[in-house]
Amino acid sequence: MSFFHGCARWALACSFAFPGSMAWAQSWPDAQWPSEPAPRSAALSALESYAFPARDDTTRSGVRSDALLVIRDGVLVYERYAAPTTAATPHLTWSMAKSLLASTLGVAYGRGLFRLDAPVADYYPPFAAHPQVKVGHLLNWASGLAWQEDYEYAPLKSSVVAMLYTRGRGDMAAFTAAHVADAEPGARFRYSSGDSNVLAAALRGMVGAEAYADYPWSALFEPLGIQSAVWERDAAGTFVGSSYLYMNARDLARVGLLMQRDGRWREQQLLPKAWVEFNRTPFANYRPEASKPDDAVPGGHWWLNAAVAGARKPWPDAPGETFAALGHWGQGLYILPREKLVIVRYADDRDASFQHNQLLKLVQAAFAREVQP
Amino acid sequence: MIRRRPLRILLVLGMLLLVAWAWQNRVHLQAFPGIIAAYSAKEYCSCRYVSQQPADYCLGYVEQYVPLSELFDDAAHKRVTARGLGSRQSAQWLGARQGCQLLPLAEPLP
Repeated sequence: MSFFHGCARWALACSFAFPGSMAWAQSWPDAQWPSEPAPRSAALSALESYAFPARDDTTRSGVRSDALLVIRDGVLVYERYAAPTTAATPHLTWSMAKSLLASTLGVAYGRGLFRLDAPVADYYPPFAAHPQVKVGHLLNWASGLAWQEDYEYAPLKSSVVAMLYTRGRGDMAAFTAAHVADAEPGARFRYSSGDSNVLAAALRGMVGAEAYADYPWSALFEPLGIQSAVWERDAAGTFVGSSYLYMNARDLARVGLLMQRDGRWREQQLLPKAWVEFNRTPFANYRPEASKPDDAVPGGHWWLNAAVAGARKPWPDAPGETFAALGHWGQGLYILPREKLVIVRYADDRDASFQHNQLLKLVQAAFAREVQP
Repeated sequence: MIRRRPLRILLVLGMLLLVAWAWQNRVHLQAFPGIIAAYSAKEYCSCRYVSQQPADYCLGYVEQYVPLSELFDDAAHKRVTARGLGSRQSAQWLGARQGCQLLPLAEPLP
């Protein structure tokens, strides 16, 4: 009798408490990250001498990290900043903004506000000029528009420079929509900040003009406890989804933990698992360029360390499941799901010395525990 | 004629090609001088008023291979105006979540 009684109580305790207690056992940040700074080690010294060499602000050459932060299974195990950047600095994310835009869209997707196979024009009417382009095409950077993504080395015809600073700055999505197509939608990958800003404009049509201005906060930043975010807009009021999101390194790491845990934040499935899976699926028609073996593979507005089409992994020393948000001048948010590592790097790299692979190799050597099968 | 003045003919041909190229690229060429001033005004404004970095750091941060003739930070209004390649551009800090934005019309320099 007492056995059955105990069993029933145990079963009850199990059915209610067990899912909760799993979440209980996991570490999550509150206002602050739980912190267990890793002890000094040779591997950590090697990482620091790679990421933080003596800095030359005259030549601006070499690896120039502004911030490096490592989260292991929800616990802050390492963080370092280079002055004047501090833990409080809302740093420019550059193109990491694109992946965070995708995570913002993921919340809207979970609320059934749009479909990946719906025409972009359903949510952003000026895209009626390109009726075949679907939301999913934009997320794969496969709109087929004749876009030129070059920064400082080819400024005359660069679409992105014109969009951000001259002809497109009043309305970046409209500027993009005015481009002609030179490929079928979905046929080829061409990295385009214009595609991302059309997504940012489509978000307005998905969530409504009233909710739009606060949507990244209400949908994503506030549930994650992100307080430092600034997202600049163009003169039409559209978020510059391609480039102009700012937040401090600790806040960016919260997005990393959300992605590492498949879109779940504590007890809430904030992003549908299927959405994160889409983010992490290589674009089917992507063909790696033989001359650029280190280029990460495009997924759904996130970057993947996947071996596709017979090419090697872009970052050979990191696991194949590694995925990242990446931005101009060395910005990176890397997620190693099996190792439960989230890495934030803010930087001001003005040359090509920095190598993602090298950083990931050194971080793993310093912080990865043996992965449980 | 061609045999007598080969250099002049080449020069004229070259000029014609250049004019044709410039006409083809007129939209890009027209916008080009505005890039450096707009970039500097916008990125300085954000560096200073969004990232809240020190002024001297932000000056170094926006420095490019094309030199600026002037950069004026109207700190009282959080408005930054830059001049370079004959173009003047201003960026304005708008608020805590909005950060900075380029203005349609540049402010005059003091």
